[in-house]
Order: sequence, then structure tokens, then C-alpha cells
Amino acid sequence: MDNEKRKEQLRTMFSKVVDPLGYKFSPDEELVGFLLEQEVNIEKEKGSPFCPCQGLTGEREHDMKLVCPCIPFHREHYDAMRRCWCGLYVHKDVEDPDSLMQISLKEFRESKNKN
Amino acid sequence: MKQEDNWIFALKADELDNGEKKPLLIEGNKVLVLKVGDDFFAMSNKCPHMECPLSKGTLEQYVIKCPCHDWRFDVREGKFLDAEEIRVPIYETKVMEEGVFVNLSMEGAGK
Amino acid sequence: MKKVVMYTLSTCPWCMRAKKFFREHDIPFEYTDYDKADDKTKEAIKEDCLAHGSEMSFPFVKIDDEVVVGYNPDKYATLLDL
Repeated sequence: MDNEKRKEQLRTMFSKVVDPLGYKFSPDEELVGFLLEQEVNIEKEKGSPFCPCQGLTGEREHDMKLVCPCIPFHREHYDAMRRCWCGLYVHKDVEDPDSLMQISLKEFRESKNKN
Repeated sequence: MKQEDNWIFALKADELDNGEKKPLLIEGNKVLVLKVGDDFFAMSNKCPHMECPLSKGTLEQYVIKCPCHDWRFDVREGKFLDAEEIRVPIYETKVMEEGVFVNLSMEGAGK
Repeated sequence: MKKVVMYTLSTCPWCMRAKKFFREHDIPFEYTDYDKADDKTKEAIKEDCLAHGSEMSFPFVKIDDEVVVGYNPDKYATLLDL
């Protein structure tokens, strides 16, 4: 299957998954196209469309939580950023994705403990 | 149409033991019928993540784990355990005269 | 000058943006793509990342002894006194 076709399939499947979670694909089409392209290549190489911005460890329990969309397994952290780590998805009300920063898990936990 | 007309024969009740499951094609729909304890459950056989066949996953008590990426669902309500907003469509079942019947017209919205 | 060392992924656009940031500011840096590294290097990077914040998120940027996980130009600039 060619990459463009698979990208469209992933887009269709994943939009159904993220919609009930309050997320949508980023309005940054260029970024979305690039990330989906990476996921298609990763899927060809490793069998699953893992997050292009998080590293696999080889332990199934860890790695399966990085298959896109990985929002369910990082909900609180991503909700705080209003985006997922790689930025493929953003909260539905986000129109300017460039305004959203990546906050590391460590920072997120520290700020949570302070409040 | 009367409601009883919507019940479709799925399989014989003695075809499944506790903890067993069987994929079926019912009126063009991929349906998974499972038995836990004495109860029968029916759900879509397609994982809502990437449409993998749940029939190839593992069933432990009321939880079925997708073979592809380990997403876990409660077979009673179809809820995804890690985010309840995501559900597998589930269908009502009833046993009549040794047969298990499924009602595809009434998708259970979680009881 | 402070030393900049990065762990990156070849598939990650934020890693690319981080590299671009340092290039544009004429800051020399070293980087290793975790996904392309040999097993031994991978293991070392994994240990480093997990020890810092129990996550495998990239880019992982070390500026001398300070670590910034993620693309955060403001933080890079502060740490480099830009």
C-alpha cells in the first residue's frame, strides 16, 4: 500500500479515537502530514504506528502505550499541554497550535505537586 | 417491526464454555460472542483503535485485550479501560431454547 | 561556552526544530538519534532519559548540566544567556 493511502486510513481511524477524548488533528496541516508520514514508515518497520517523538524501550508494556493515538495513556499530562507530545493532536478549541509548549512529564508532575 | 423480530440466532448455547469466544458474521456485521460465567455477551469484533479482531485477543473475566496493541475493554459495557469515552459497540443477547440470540438493532449504550 | 548535547529521534519534527534553533544561534551541538543508534548507545540514552524524568520523550537537550526535555526555545536561550 502506498504511504498516502495509509496516511489517510490512519487519519480516518484515529480521528474517531481522539474525538470522544476531546481532541482533534492539529490545524497545522504541514506538521500533521509530516507526522503521519513518519508513523506510516514506523508502522512498516516496527509493525505499529508508534509516536514519532517518543522512544521505544523494547518492553511491550511500555511501548504499547506509545502507539498513536497514545492520549489515553498520558491523559492528564496531555490535557495540561492541550496537545499530545508530538503535536499531532490538540484540544478541540485550539486554533493556534504554535502557542502550545511541550511540557516534560517531570515538569508536569512537579507543577502538579506544587498546586 | 416488532422487537422480537430483531433477535438473530448467533450460536447454540452449548457451543461456548465459560471464558470462550467466537467471531461471527451476522448480517454483514463482524460480531464477537463471548461467554463469561453463565452469561453471554456480544460486541463488535473490531477494536475501535485500529479495527483489529478482538476475537484473537485474550479474555480474562470480563476484560478482553486486543491482540494488536493490548487495548482492554469490559465486555459488559464495551468500555475501554484506559478512557471510558471510547467504547466497542455492544449488543444485547438472550438465550432461547438452547440458542443464543443477538439484537443488532439495539446497540447497548452501557448498562 | 556551554556544551550542548542532544538525544533526538530521526522522525521527530521538534528535534529538528531544536537543531535549527542552535544552528541559527551559532551554538555548536552534538546529537545522537536514539532510533538509529547501536544497542549499546541506545541503552545508555535510555538510562539517561529514564533517570531524569521516567519518560522517553524527545528532544532531550543537555546544556552543561541542565536538562530540557522538549522543544523549548525560551529555556534554551535562558540557559545559554542568549
